[in-house]
Amino acid sequence: MSHKSNSLKQLALQKFKKNFWGVFSFYYIVLVGLISVFAYVFAPDNSQYANQMHLAIHSKKPGFKVMMLTVPSQLETKQSVFDKLFFGKKNTDTEVPIKEYKVKEKVLAYKEYASDGLEGAEKSININTFPNNLVQDFIKEKTFLFGTDKYGRDLLSRVFVGARISFFIGFVAVFISLIIGVFMGSVAGYFGGKVDAVIMWVINVTWSIPTLLLVIAITLALGKGFWQVFIAVGLTMWVEVARVVRGQIISVKEMQYVTAARALGFNDFRIITKHILPNIMAPVIVISAANFAGAILIESGLSFLGIGAQPPMASWGAMIKDHYNYIILGKPYLAIIPGLCIMSLVMAFMLIGNALRDALDVKN
Amino acid sequence: MSHILKIKNLSISFGENEVIHNISYELNKNEILGIVGESGSGKSVSSLAILGLLPKKISRITSGSINYNDEDLTLFSPKALQTVRGSKIAMIFQEPMSSLNPSMTCGKQVQEILLQHTNLSKKDSKNETISLFEKVKLPSPERVYDAYPHEISGGQKQRVMIAMAIACKPDVLIADEPTTALDVTVQKDIIKLLKTLQVETRMSVIFITHDLSLISEIADRVLVMYKGDIVEQGKTSTIFKTPQHIYTKALINSRPSLETRLKVLPTIQDYLNNTTNNDIITGEERLKRHSKLYNKPALLEIINVEKEYVSKSGWFSKPKTFKAVNNVSFKLYEGETLGLVGESGCGKSTLGNAILQLDKATAGKILYQGVDITKLPNSEIKKLRKDIQIIFQDPYSSLNPRIPVGEAIMEPMKVHKLYNSDKERKEKVIDILNRVGLSEDYFNRYSHEFSGGQRQRIGIARTIALQPKLIVCDESVSALDISVQAQVLNLLNELKEDFGFTYIFISHDLAVVKYMSDQLLVMNNGKIEELDDADVIYNNPKKDYTKKLIHAIPKGL
Repeated sequence: MSHKSNSLKQLALQKFKKNFWGVFSFYYIVLVGLISVFAYVFAPDNSQYANQMHLAIHSKKPGFKVMMLTVPSQLETKQSVFDKLFFGKKNTDTEVPIKEYKVKEKVLAYKEYASDGLEGAEKSININTFPNNLVQDFIKEKTFLFGTDKYGRDLLSRVFVGARISFFIGFVAVFISLIIGVFMGSVAGYFGGKVDAVIMWVINVTWSIPTLLLVIAITLALGKGFWQVFIAVGLTMWVEVARVVRGQIISVKEMQYVTAARALGFNDFRIITKHILPNIMAPVIVISAANFAGAILIESGLSFLGIGAQPPMASWGAMIKDHYNYIILGKPYLAIIPGLCIMSLVMAFMLIGNALRDALDVKN
Repeated sequence: MSHILKIKNLSISFGENEVIHNISYELNKNEILGIVGESGSGKSVSSLAILGLLPKKISRITSGSINYNDEDLTLFSPKALQTVRGSKIAMIFQEPMSSLNPSMTCGKQVQEILLQHTNLSKKDSKNETISLFEKVKLPSPERVYDAYPHEISGGQKQRVMIAMAIACKPDVLIADEPTTALDVTVQKDIIKLLKTLQVETRMSVIFITHDLSLISEIADRVLVMYKGDIVEQGKTSTIFKTPQHIYTKALINSRPSLETRLKVLPTIQDYLNNTTNNDIITGEERLKRHSKLYNKPALLEIINVEKEYVSKSGWFSKPKTFKAVNNVSFKLYEGETLGLVGESGCGKSTLGNAILQLDKATAGKILYQGVDITKLPNSEIKKLRKDIQIIFQDPYSSLNPRIPVGEAIMEPMKVHKLYNSDKERKEKVIDILNRVGLSEDYFNRYSHEFSGGQRQRIGIARTIALQPKLIVCDESVSALDISVQAQVLNLLNELKEDFGFTYIFISHDLAVVKYMSDQLLVMNNGKIEELDDADVIYNNPKKDYTKKLIHAIPKGL
């Protein structure tokens, strides 16, 4: 067949490709997605939750450099490569920031790093602790690109690991909201009448409860933790999806191809899934993009309030919470960096939503 | 100088696409000029250009001039055009339902124009409005003055629109399909009104329509437009009696005639290839066929069917009931075409839906092959769906835009488990596509890539894919252009002969229904007015309503 057929989907895709901000946001989101999946591969600090603390060098500026002595751990733990790659190293070596060191016979003597012009304590360690007695391999200069947080953890690594929560809460919340929302919305819109009245009542009640309050209530019922937040956010977001789907179905239902499908003897399930839903995907996709952004914001808010992801888990909202009082102490970057991360990701989703809305609008 | 408006070498482009190619015509003083053409011929675009109402960003006038009283309107500033618009050149639109503001009373809307363009005081303008309403023959003008648009009928709304247009005594009135959305009987009144108004005020009228016979009743001169060109212009009588251009000939002849019944309607293609077939179905042939038809038992029997709608206006008020179909009974025989004609709201579509079981009838019996289908359980109805099918009116909304046409035709076969494999079904679909005159290359295309006529063929293909026995054609050709309409009607007749379908042909267009039908059923207010052979009804109508209906059809010259 010589003729290349253009479905509406392909037309929309072509249009989307022409939108610079849409494509840019798409690649940005893909980048953040990759970072969040392979966080521990990219992160300089690949311990679980990027939780390697060095109290001596807490809250340092971005680009801070220090000599770091790594003391290998004596404990052996079994951890598969896969586990290490995706969830970080469980048992880690001790890291000590040092100012200077000397090797005398079988003993390594070093001076601990201390800031603000203080002198660090002098300590020594048996050289046998290091494999092959090669001390030089274990002393390196380490750079903290984003600086360190108030426990002396590498902020860059925590931002990477924190992206995972923000990203996945978006996915899970949108996924849950879509499943419930599309189902409830289709049933209400397609069947109408009493079914519609009941579902609309549930929707209105759910909507009248402030989102934050509902999330708090659900977290209280299901316990604290980030999985609970995923579910809770998803459970509050389905309402908007359901309303949009319902409204769209009510208007599409009047189209003759739906009547045609009924006259051709198709059952309700087939009509809804094959003939109605594909035609109302555009507004659902757009609202999903907005919900994605909304979920990230709600999670940040919850983490900021302390009912989201629990320490030591890294989350952008929790990072702001930990450091917002540093703003007046002249170290605003600790809170600003995760803040910018949240902002850029939310903005990317909003822009992609706008671009999709323009692209999916078949009329122009 | 007798002409008031002179259009010279006008070309209009939408983006890169030229839609009007270098047209020239003039409008004389005190005449009605008809512009006729099919959708997309550029008839509306060229008249919108006169008023400077073309969408600004996407369209532009590439060359030519529009001279009104020797001033070039294309050079006017938007502000200067505004003073011309409404007061000197006025316009009436197609859709009276949406061109009136629903939150303002009709009187206020007309008064607003008077206040804007004249120096009348409030009180005078009110009196003027009421006299205008009298002029357009609105019943009880005082009541209409205070009525909101939803409180008056479609024909009355169009009268209010006309009152608005002539409020400032314009020199030129442009009427863009002013009667297309109205019933034939109302259309007749509006045409009469426009004609008397024209004689009274001596203004010039440009009357745009796709309906040739309608234009022959009103216009002094006619312009025929085709794909952005004027193919022919001249006196109405000359154009109709001795058309020169092939397109004009085709347009005049492809509309079914009320007197004779051609075997096959001529299409533009026929005129281009010079293969018009003038064979007529004679009365005897018809009689012979009918005696054969009516000897068999009835395929479908409708007995006292009623459909009642209940509307609740408030919590405590009594629910109001409205009978859309009231006590209708008739018989339908295998292989015949039953025409169902009536004005909008007479219940013809409701009856069609009741037969299809899309909307259940509230009372009465519908016997299909002797079985009452109103009482069937859902599982049996699914089997019935295979036998009774529908062809829809609107080719644009009756196809799912997300499904390629081949799949759309294949889907009902799958659902009803016809044929054994997808391969076999696909072959069958290609057969059917060829049968309705479409190439098999279209299998994987989407509906938005097709024209209206092609889409209607796809809709027909999907319907016949199930090999039904009875097909309800609900205004199936009303949305199509006349030349396309002839093709689709021919196709329906061919299919009927090949597959032995039985049709219920629903339409508001009596000429089309008469051409297609064996029996004709005239409906009014949910009741059967008359039921008999189509020719008998047309030649000797018994009821007043039928007489009025037949009388209102524009006859042409």
